[in-house]
Amino acid sequence: MGKLFAVIRREYLERVRNKWFVIVTVFGPVFFAVVMILPAYLSVRGLRDAKVVDLRVVDATGTGLGARVAQRIADPRRGGNPPSGPDAETTTPRQLVRVDTVSAASLAAAESTLVLEVMANRLSGYLILDSATLGNGQARYAGRNASSVGQNEQLETAVRSAVMGMRLENAGVVAANADSITRLRVNVAAVRITDSGKSGSGVGGIIFGGVIAFMLYIAIILYGQAILRGVLEEKTTRVAEVILASVKPDILLAGKVIGVGAVGLTQFGIWIASALFFWGERTRLIGAIVGPSAATAPTGFDFPSIEPFTIVALVLFFIFGYTLYASLFAAVGAMVGTQEEANQAVQPVMMILVFSVIFVQPVMTNPTGRLAEVLSLIPFSAPIIMPLRMTATPVPALIVMASLGGVLVTALGAIWLSARIYRVGLLMYGKRPTLRELWRWVRQS
Amino acid sequence: MTELAIDIRGISKRYADHVAVRDLNLAVPRGAVYGLLGPNGAGKTTTIRMILNIIGPDTGSIHLLGRPNTDRAILDRLGYLPEERGLYKKMAVRDVLRFLAELKGLDRRTADLRIEEWLERLSLRSAEKDWGKAKVEELSRGMQQKVQFIGTLLHDPDLVILDEPFSGLDPINAQALKDTVVELKRRGRTVIFSTHLMDNAERLCDSVCIIARGEKVLDGTVASVKAENAGRTVALALDGSATPEVMAVLQDRTLVERVDDQNRFFEVELVAGADSQTLLRRVLETGACIQRFERVQPSLHQIFLQRVGATGVEEGMSGHG
Repeated sequence: MGKLFAVIRREYLERVRNKWFVIVTVFGPVFFAVVMILPAYLSVRGLRDAKVVDLRVVDATGTGLGARVAQRIADPRRGGNPPSGPDAETTTPRQLVRVDTVSAASLAAAESTLVLEVMANRLSGYLILDSATLGNGQARYAGRNASSVGQNEQLETAVRSAVMGMRLENAGVVAANADSITRLRVNVAAVRITDSGKSGSGVGGIIFGGVIAFMLYIAIILYGQAILRGVLEEKTTRVAEVILASVKPDILLAGKVIGVGAVGLTQFGIWIASALFFWGERTRLIGAIVGPSAATAPTGFDFPSIEPFTIVALVLFFIFGYTLYASLFAAVGAMVGTQEEANQAVQPVMMILVFSVIFVQPVMTNPTGRLAEVLSLIPFSAPIIMPLRMTATPVPALIVMASLGGVLVTALGAIWLSARIYRVGLLMYGKRPTLRELWRWVRQS
Repeated sequence: MTELAIDIRGISKRYADHVAVRDLNLAVPRGAVYGLLGPNGAGKTTTIRMILNIIGPDTGSIHLLGRPNTDRAILDRLGYLPEERGLYKKMAVRDVLRFLAELKGLDRRTADLRIEEWLERLSLRSAEKDWGKAKVEELSRGMQQKVQFIGTLLHDPDLVILDEPFSGLDPINAQALKDTVVELKRRGRTVIFSTHLMDNAERLCDSVCIIARGEKVLDGTVASVKAENAGRTVALALDGSATPEVMAVLQDRTLVERVDDQNRFFEVELVAGADSQTLLRRVLETGACIQRFERVQPSLHQIFLQRVGATGVEEGMSGHG
């Protein structure tokens, strides 16, 4: 046991001390930070930019609609009526949106002046409200940023709610009530129901599952390749022979797989912890970057709630799946003599892995389908597909355990097979073995 | 406690296309310096790997220091220097040595103490430069060999196995190696090494075993091997060139097996059972003037050539003996 520990410690420390490990581990969180905060940051900035936009409202309705619209554009949350109360002064919409009230006859002349203004970059655009706006909600916007979906939506909302408010008031609804009615915002939250009745965001679950599956895939590739290179190094530098005179090849193999696995858990532990940290602190961080006013801006999705059983299963899928592929990678490393040969010989293993990843997309779109069911039970694809499936949709515990069991049994088989190839291959130099020779190695040892 | 450090009985190892070792018996006494001699491809490395249980023999048994070599505990008392040297290139020298020591069951504290001793002893650590901190790949080849050698001996093994230890060594390191082997013997350790350099073997070894084509050709103490193979070689030096009469005697196949004719000097190998006195009398009878007539002890090199011959080296089997 002391020797196994010595091998594990060497594998672990040598890799963790490596400067590339430090770089990748540090840049991982930076990457997560960018991925999580940047979209939120951009959307917040986008909102603010849209507000600041220097646009002109041209009101040719003669009903004061322009003022209402302007107010709603400037501050979509506040009432559409002239502000009142003690804070009236401070909450008055910033004078960003000027309203030009014109008669229907002089509209064309006013518009041509505004076009010149826009062309001279003194204005980014103008919104025209006329009788058609009151009649059937037709308004017209012209400007430099005419194709901006965000702004267009904002304008539509402002015009719709202003027109609606006017109509309600005309129909006898008290102004204040009319205002609150038009400001009603609807948001359909998709909530997932699980066996235990706990809920979480449905879309969040699928995205989270996708992230998990992708991370498992990356981890297996990254650390599997690390093992392959490690075995190859021991073989080409002939250290293997010195080591094998002290410990059994099985111990060396086990130490390698465990040591590198521990490196993986460390790295992903750091990543997950920092991702959670950034996620939890995102509001404050964004606030610090773009100013407190934006701090409550909406960002992406909520993390789904995850049951302890799922977490345990996810960790086990990682450990078993990693072990399964790591021992295959180790066997490949022991089979070949150079990195070039390794690149070729590793193809079959990579193909099995990529095969699973190809189906991540279809399973994400339909996590309850037959494809997801089958792939999450095949031991080679289960470590990637089942975590995706079970975070996206509830899967009976029995099926999860059956899938885990399948992966475990296959992993043990892979260890058995690889240990035998490893034992013989480590001391074989020269040409790559054929399949028949490989089989002899397996039987021989 | 058995007297044998290594007791090999009837081991064979067959690979797909050839037999590497065939029915080999070997007895290495404790405290001996033992040479395993043979041409390339003779089965030396295979034998050594079987001793170390890196590969298992198809048949036969191997006992080390009185215990079967499948007993993992026995491996901790062995030190092994493989023919192909290798260390983790990216690791610091101290870390590599500590790792190798730990694999032999040495605790870290003892290992660290001994590492410092050895680094100083082999001048890898001095006031101005401490190579222990350097990565292995930053060391010169000679220094790497020193490090590997330290790794072999760090746990103070009872049985030291060196595979072609002299290959690739510069004269200074070769001398250091010889000194160490002698010192190990003084301290009662057993050393077995393989080589195809007979001079080193002749000077260092108490006993030798010559193997060729996977089979033992001869073994025993160097003295007995020489004695058994002596008596049949005669050094003959004449005053002046050989006369036809002398040549006739030397070419008598009932008396002389082989003669190395160097004009005035002859190395004569008698046929088995022939008497050197008969040869002396016959040469004298020709009237030749004899400057020197001596029954010589053949060198290991000669014995090797004589017993293994050029045929002992099979083409295409070079590499791992």
